[in-house]
Amino acid sequence: MKSVKSMQRISIDPITRLEGHGKIEIFLDENGEVVNAYFQVPELRGFEKFCQGRPVEELARIVPRI
Amino acid sequence: MAKPKVAVYWSAACGGCDVKVLDTNEKILDIAAAVDLLFWPIALDFKYKDVEEMADREIDLCIINGGIRNSEQEHIVKLLRRKSKVVAALGACAISGGIPALANLYDAQSILDYVYHKTTSIDNFQGPLPQPEYDAPEGRLTIPKFYDSVFALDQMIDVQYYIPGCPPPPSLIVKALTAFLQGTLPPPPATVAGEGSVCDECPRERNREAKVKKWKRIAQFTPPADTKKCLLDEGFFCLGPATQAGCEALCIKANIPCEGCMGKPQGVTDRGSKMLSYIASLTDASTEEEAKKILNDVVDQAGLLYRFDLPKSLIGGRRKE
Ligand code: SF4
Ligand code: SF4
Repeated sequence: MKSVKSMQRISIDPITRLEGHGKIEIFLDENGEVVNAYFQVPELRGFEKFCQGRPVEELARIVPRI
Repeated sequence: MAKPKVAVYWSAACGGCDVKVLDTNEKILDIAAAVDLLFWPIALDFKYKDVEEMADREIDLCIINGGIRNSEQEHIVKLLRRKSKVVAALGACAISGGIPALANLYDAQSILDYVYHKTTSIDNFQGPLPQPEYDAPEGRLTIPKFYDSVFALDQMIDVQYYIPGCPPPPSLIVKALTAFLQGTLPPPPATVAGEGSVCDECPRERNREAKVKKWKRIAQFTPPADTKKCLLDEGFFCLGPATQAGCEALCIKANIPCEGCMGKPQGVTDRGSKMLSYIASLTDASTEEEAKKILNDVVDQAGLLYRFDLPKSLIGGRRKE
């Protein structure tokens, strides 16, 4: 593993032209080569939780808003 | 003359509001030609950095959809507020939390726990939850802090205009943008919608004598053969009388009771209690006990009465598990 100090970082924040939220962090070494890249999803709404216990036919009206 | 500068942003949203901006069909071309778009994540490749570099009040009109669910969204809407002369909230999520605010019935911890540990589709054998900060070998990674509740946009920043709906009808988006371009927007704060309630736009007619013995679920729904019969009178939770006009009763024309996405009509403080008073007066009971029993049979009252506006409701949300 390269030392953290020499890592250069490129942030793509936000990623665009798609439905949803995301960002990408790319780490480069001293020669400009990609060492690692992280795709992050900075979003959660929790439909999994708040759909519980609701009448099943109402879900047809709730989940289109995911 | 320089074109007005416009930005569009989404926070805790589904993308439906952005799609409705595009659903203005060929008018989108006129809109695009009439303004300079400075930021619009779903459609254009501008970054948060570009917004930070703008002068204060550089944006003439900033249209924001989605509620505020995490620290990044709070940060960006506050940044956009500073960079904008006028802010408009587009859609139920921005105006009053919307569907994602049904999560306000639970706290952050129980949502995270369910989503990342308990859903049947997840295999998180080591059990970590997303952390706001994570030290990767190459450097620190950050994601926003997930808040305990969803907030409406105007609970975070000043909002001048409201364009309601979930999603808002393209006709209202065109109406608002045309007024903006012509300089004829009403004095703020103002809602760009229709006059009165959804009942005023509905082809069905309420019968003032109607009484309901049992409230039904939409699963039991077969449209009354008489297309003039009001769905509320027939025992379905149709939120028309407690919902802002402007959608032209789209759902009811498709035989679906109104779920209230246009939000509360002007002058109403708490939409759920307003609707409940209609429901109570229609309920056919001779004693209070009987009325309570009939109403208690309704499954998920919170989800029916406050589907789009828990953050703006008097009940507020949160129930103990
Ligand atoms: S108001 Fe409705 S259409 Fe707009 S972002 Fe929210 S859920 Fe989607
Ligand atoms: S309650 Fe619903 S069906 Fe009845 S008139 Fe109003 S909007 Fe139409």
